[in-house]
Amino acid sequence: MIRVERRIEVNNSWVIIMYLSACIVGFLLTSLLLWLSGADISKAFYALYKGSMSNQKTILNSLSKATPLILTGLATVVAFRAQVWSIGQEGQVYSGAMSAYMASLMFYGLPVWIYLSLIITFGALGGALLGALSAVLKNRFNVNEIISTVMLNYIIIFFLSYMVGGGPWTGVGDQALIYSQSNPVDDTAKLPFLFDSKKLHFGFVLAIVSVLVCHVLINHTPFGYEIRAMGHNSVALKYRGTNTKKTLLYLMILSGAIAGLAGVSEIFGTNHSLRGDTLVGLGFTGIIVGMIGGLTPIGTLVAGVVFGGLASGSVYMKIIAKVPGTLVPTMEGIFLLTFLIAGVASHYKIVGFKRDV
Amino acid sequence: MSELFQEAVIISILAGTFRVMTPILFAAIGELVTQRAGIWNMGVEGTMIMGAFTSYMVATTTGSLYLAVLAGIFSGMIMGLITAFMIATVRVDHFITGLGLNLLVGGLTLFWFRLYTGGGYAPTFTSLGNFPIPILSSIPIIGDIFFKQKLLTYVAFLSVPAVWYFLYRTRWGLEIRCLGENPKALDIKGLNVVLRQYVAILIGSSFTGLGGAFLMLAFSDRFQPDLTAGKGWLAIVAIIAGKWLPKGVFIAVLVFAFLGSVAVHVQILDIDIPYQIFLALPYLASIILLIGLRKRISQPAKLGVPYFR
Repeated sequence: MIRVERRIEVNNSWVIIMYLSACIVGFLLTSLLLWLSGADISKAFYALYKGSMSNQKTILNSLSKATPLILTGLATVVAFRAQVWSIGQEGQVYSGAMSAYMASLMFYGLPVWIYLSLIITFGALGGALLGALSAVLKNRFNVNEIISTVMLNYIIIFFLSYMVGGGPWTGVGDQALIYSQSNPVDDTAKLPFLFDSKKLHFGFVLAIVSVLVCHVLINHTPFGYEIRAMGHNSVALKYRGTNTKKTLLYLMILSGAIAGLAGVSEIFGTNHSLRGDTLVGLGFTGIIVGMIGGLTPIGTLVAGVVFGGLASGSVYMKIIAKVPGTLVPTMEGIFLLTFLIAGVASHYKIVGFKRDV
Repeated sequence: MSELFQEAVIISILAGTFRVMTPILFAAIGELVTQRAGIWNMGVEGTMIMGAFTSYMVATTTGSLYLAVLAGIFSGMIMGLITAFMIATVRVDHFITGLGLNLLVGGLTLFWFRLYTGGGYAPTFTSLGNFPIPILSSIPIIGDIFFKQKLLTYVAFLSVPAVWYFLYRTRWGLEIRCLGENPKALDIKGLNVVLRQYVAILIGSSFTGLGGAFLMLAFSDRFQPDLTAGKGWLAIVAIIAGKWLPKGVFIAVLVFAFLGSVAVHVQILDIDIPYQIFLALPYLASIILLIGLRKRISQPAKLGVPYFR
């Protein structure tokens, strides 16, 4: 009889085998989906490759698409490592974008570098504020963080929808009215482009710096230790004398601030006007990125770049293989589930032909 | 603002309340069974979208709304099976499973929808008609509010006592409640814990799928992304706010539905206040409700805790 047994120690090569299988199963399921939809499977995957990393232009495009995903993925890592199931990244992206936009109106005319720094800082603050709100709701009123973050996501989206769709930030002209967007931001407020690419911008630098900071913070500082310990055993942490409520508050502020940066990066780096629909789904995809990255900053960077590539390649896939671009979020969801199962399965071993006496 | 207080508008808001209530109530009362079994199914939103989408596909291809409703329930059960496999068999964290499924379904339904429409216009169907109850519907005011609803709305009302009866007066109900408090006790008696977890999840998911189908078939004539707009999450909040009791859940859903109905009417009546404020009301209300309920004595003891032998 074949039985499965829980492992006492995790075996590295077994873990690798499990995650590789997860990748293979993920690709098989995606292919199945493509086959069911009547598309040419090899053509679709070729188009995905072609549109994501075939030349310098597409690579830069992939990295530019990866930028917000790395940031929201990191925001997920910070919260989920402590087993705080915040899914407020979506809303924090919005609030970050909004408060950065507010800063861009308030500080217009200041010297460029001070102006840009203020915009970025306000973006981080906007996200942090929303994160802090969920932490306070949890600490003071025992409101489940999943519920509060979901509800705040909806509330903030309606808020943005009002601000640019009839409210004070609504842009002038027909186009602004149709798409519910603000006036374009001033040229001095745009994040500078890297490598003269007109695609990849300073937001990517912010993302890389955030990855490094989070890596050091989580693995090599007392605060990072508290985050990790909270995920394993928050009761023990309390007995050690740690104020876990404070830890929760700080980690939610950090998580929110990073997600807020994603909003700044999208609005001031890519889109150049405040508009809700370009921000949709960045936070939710970030959750998948963080999870598939194994809830580590470096893993998230890798997963974020892969997902950025998928997002960039999906445009080609739509044109060349006539596959709807929405295949990509589906693929991401499929990979998330296979990775989740692999994560649990890597803690088990198969015991063959063993009989209970 | 005064437009809101005319008799016709008030009647319309109240009648609308029960229409808005129906999908949330289906999801909430079904997931109540799941949660009483100790399972936090966070995939309610995704299950609902799946139910809505499948019923849309069936309604537009076959033209039969009955088949569409059945398809909604069926797809809910498929979602339930995946959820149960992840939670009860593989024992992935309950929260993560639900979140993962929500994300997957969000992508999957959009993908199919785009394939189905092929870039053209989305096909439409005729929405569910009203089902006025003879005699009762001719009572002035009360008839307009209560007895000119859709057939499934009456079913939703009846599902509350039905679920109550199931949970409190049947052997299976007792065992499911026991699962949420002390699964070990069932295991020691030699009763199959995993099987009962599957059953509890499937009951919840099929109700949720039905809710999704109603949302699709009663409110519009074509599918659109994010059709559910957080109704699945409101169902979860309603369960917490209702203290895990059928009656409480029912009242909480009614409150959300009333706010939702007011929001719809404000949009139609073109009142000066930004309509987004009213749209945000149910979500705001849910946070306020939860703040008021900070003590959770009535929460099933083993809610969200994976069971290992």
